[in-house]
Amino acid sequence: MSLLDFARGPALQWSIVIFLIGVLWRLLGVLLLRTRKDLSEPRNAAAWKGLRLIALRSWPRKEFLGGTAFGEVMGYTFHLGFLLALFFFVPHVLFFADIFRGLLGTDLRSLVGFGWPALPNSIVTLLSAISIAALVAVLIHRLVSPVKRLISNFDDYFSWFVTMAPLATGMAAFAHLGGWPYERLLAVHILSAELLLVWFPFGKLMHAFTIFAARGSTGMIFERKGASL
Amino acid sequence: MSSPLLGEFLRSRGVTRRGFLQFCTATASLMGVSSALVPRIAAALEQARRPSVIWLPFQECTGCTESITRAHGSTIESLIFQAISLDYQHTLQAAAGDAAERARESAMKENWGRYLLIVDGSIPTGNPGFSTVAGRDNLSLLQEAARGAAAIIALGSCAAFGGIPGASPNPTGAVAVSDIVKDKPIIKVSGCPPIPVVITGVLTQYLTFGKLPELDALGRPRSFYGQTIHDRCYRRPFYERGQFADSFDDEGARQGWCLYKLGCKGPTTHNACATVKWNAGTSFPIEAGHGCIGCSEPGFWDKGGFYEPLSTGNWGTARTVGTAIGVGAALGVASAALARKRQKDAEGA
Amino acid sequence: MTGTTTATRELDPLELDKPRVSISKPEHRFDTQGEMPDTERVERAMKSFVRDFGRTAAVYMESCIHCGMCAEACHFYEVTKDPKYTPIWKLEPFKQAYKREYGPFATVYRALNLKPKVTVERLQEWQHLIYDSCTVCGRCSLMCPMGIDIASLVSQARHGMFKAGLVPHELAAVSERAHREGSPLGATPKVFADRCEWLADEHEVEIHIDKPQADVLCAMSSIEIMKYPESVVATARVMKHVGADWTFRLDGYEATNFGLLAGDSATQKELTLKIIHAAVACGAKVVILPECGHAYTALRWMGANMYGKPLPFKVMHIAEFLAEQARAGKLRLRKLGKSATFHDPCQVVRRGGAIEPPREVLQALGVELREMYPTKGTNWCCGGGGGVVAIHRADQLRHKVFKIKMEQIEATGAELPVTTCANCRQTFDDGQAHFKWDKTMHSLLELVADNLIEDEI
Repeated sequence: MSLLDFARGPALQWSIVIFLIGVLWRLLGVLLLRTRKDLSEPRNAAAWKGLRLIALRSWPRKEFLGGTAFGEVMGYTFHLGFLLALFFFVPHVLFFADIFRGLLGTDLRSLVGFGWPALPNSIVTLLSAISIAALVAVLIHRLVSPVKRLISNFDDYFSWFVTMAPLATGMAAFAHLGGWPYERLLAVHILSAELLLVWFPFGKLMHAFTIFAARGSTGMIFERKGASL
Repeated sequence: MSSPLLGEFLRSRGVTRRGFLQFCTATASLMGVSSALVPRIAAALEQARRPSVIWLPFQECTGCTESITRAHGSTIESLIFQAISLDYQHTLQAAAGDAAERARESAMKENWGRYLLIVDGSIPTGNPGFSTVAGRDNLSLLQEAARGAAAIIALGSCAAFGGIPGASPNPTGAVAVSDIVKDKPIIKVSGCPPIPVVITGVLTQYLTFGKLPELDALGRPRSFYGQTIHDRCYRRPFYERGQFADSFDDEGARQGWCLYKLGCKGPTTHNACATVKWNAGTSFPIEAGHGCIGCSEPGFWDKGGFYEPLSTGNWGTARTVGTAIGVGAALGVASAALARKRQKDAEGA
Repeated sequence: MTGTTTATRELDPLELDKPRVSISKPEHRFDTQGEMPDTERVERAMKSFVRDFGRTAAVYMESCIHCGMCAEACHFYEVTKDPKYTPIWKLEPFKQAYKREYGPFATVYRALNLKPKVTVERLQEWQHLIYDSCTVCGRCSLMCPMGIDIASLVSQARHGMFKAGLVPHELAAVSERAHREGSPLGATPKVFADRCEWLADEHEVEIHIDKPQADVLCAMSSIEIMKYPESVVATARVMKHVGADWTFRLDGYEATNFGLLAGDSATQKELTLKIIHAAVACGAKVVILPECGHAYTALRWMGANMYGKPLPFKVMHIAEFLAEQARAGKLRLRKLGKSATFHDPCQVVRRGGAIEPPREVLQALGVELREMYPTKGTNWCCGGGGGVVAIHRADQLRHKVFKIKMEQIEATGAELPVTTCANCRQTFDDGQAHFKWDKTMHSLLELVADNLIEDEI
């Protein structure tokens, strides 16, 4: 079995399995913990309105913007670039369209057409390059800022690595970097994405899910009290 | 019977010196060797003895023979082909039955250790009776013929990698030549079928230098299989710009855009189709509007459909995913229960 | 029980002009559950800390992405730029404990020893971070992009610290004193009653004590009783002015809760229940909390959960009560005609939700309100809350923080700084003295009481 066959076959299967098991284990293991009903008289009875914190907290209050603007801007730049490259690059669109083939035994094409529209390759290349640059900036900041240097641990650096790897290897494969055989570059790229999937449930990448629970909880608790959101 | 030297033979067929040198130059270019070597190629070919070639057909479709013999009038390639002493070839030989077998045996005996063995088709290892020639099973025939060969050319994807008989579920237990023969040099000229000029180029290389050409990791001559279709495809700029045909005969297809979405395996297929093309440089599948099916790669029949794009992976069945979800949920519930229990115990303490 | 060494003497009821009352070094308190080595003590502390955990805290522990932005919101980091004051860093040993003991992968963490056990030494190192340099003001919680309520986690961490016997001297001592005497600062029921009698006489105002039935139960903070007794008088005046049927109760008058601040849940509950039982005993419909920050948090938001069922009365901060009375047209006030700026006590405004009432009252007082920047929910903490003002070794740090408040107030150019928390007021007074500042912090309640238009008869 060639490296590419391995990457597209058993490695993909197993990484998806590990991802699903890990995410559910961690999420349910937290969300099913004990809660205590708050018996105090609410200021605002419709506490659910506090869920708007999920959206609201996406940008800091202007009073806090001074020292945080860099992190916010770089963070969004990287996230947006990464997500756009992930979901709107033709080979990726085709890859995701294939979920249905595996799950339902039928091709997405026959269900709804060929996936969803994609961005031109040149735009995706640009976005990926910008994301990589933002990620590098973020790493430098983590190494240089005294606050971040103190609080950072293995998880922070390894999560950075597994996020950078698919971006970097993806661009390398697209560019047929170094005259390496394309299959090897592609295999390494796919394997790096699988590493990301496997690490995802166990490190800080889970914030993709926990952000809703955390902001939502705080939003509802604070809304109930009429406290500042 | 001793054969005349190749140079004599060609002159006897009316090939001029000029024409001969043109052929040597073209061949040098195809093989990717320096033009400084053209005189050496010419000299070597001139003096080459017409080697004995035994062609054994096993589980094959005769497509390789069809391809190789696509002569257009009297091209040099076809003459070269005729220049070798093809002592056994089912489709082309005149003899049949016992006479053919005796011709083979005597050619092998006379040229033992020096003949070139060409094999096309895969070898069944299931039941020897699956494929026989003159009542003799393929496996034992190959083993015997290989012992006396100077080198073996595994012609076509079947002989090189197992090909269509070897495709899932492989009911005959079909294997490649290299799975049987371990102690002789093997050149794999893969393709389904291979390009005509590739085989003649390989032969010429062998005749000229008396040794195997440089092979890639899969045993294929690097000069023809060293690059991917994708790297030499004339539609590559459309790929780069993200302009793809979405279906056959749509606007993109008619504009000649990239066929990636329609399943083209160009990026992972090594062959010379994009440069050398077929039918004396007429066209090749992509140019004709159909994606490359990757026919020179091992197991290409089982690498996802011909119309499924390259980047597809095996996401797994509903059962795998469902089981993973179930296991994850169970572990989540269990760990929460365990934590709650520890809490209760701590409360008691 | 611990033997305190010196300096906690019986207070003369009439000693009203004393400087800030402090407790000199009591001994370290340790949980006395037999003889056991430190390591086991810590483990029990961690386990008892884990006991307090619920889903919300767990979600928070899982969500931190180490962005460090919480530091940008914290006044202690702001004035020192020392990364150790990063708010989420305060939780580090407790995050470890959570992952080891309670998280979804706890079994794996323990089996592979991926997170080391917390040690006494580590917790001792952390004492300064969790107590000296955190006022539980919640600014960090407002900043966190993940929405983690870091302040609430610090409060929870204090429970573990308490169980490990690692609370700063002063907090441990006043909490113990509150449990023993009913007041952290020596305002025992007897002292309180005597003071009230003296104040009633001196200021010619009726101060009701221990009415068997009353609609309104008022509480006071020991800081006011001991240091700002004018607030007691002001409370009585205002209640009379609006015609409220009110009382103090000697079985439940103390609004401060050093159990909450120290992390002693048992004492916290005990102190809260006193007020609740007193309110129930006199059939009060409303309990009015004084100008105090954490008192509001303790009763308004945590009281019912301590009690185990919804409270049978409403709870209001005095500022909310005043605003309500102003809206109802029941406060007849002289207009001050001065410019004022409002310092938002963290527990009342940002954490408690009573954002507008103080401003409504100021409007009723006819001041020209000049909001400082930032204000309301994002206003800077005075630096003295959460017990910090009581911890002497933190004084230097607190004074640095105070500069922020001075700059804010100076920038408004307002004549009158006003607030509605006696602890903030105490912090401002201390800061004013230290820096020889010319601005004095005023109490909202006292401003109202001093400017009531009474019918002259």
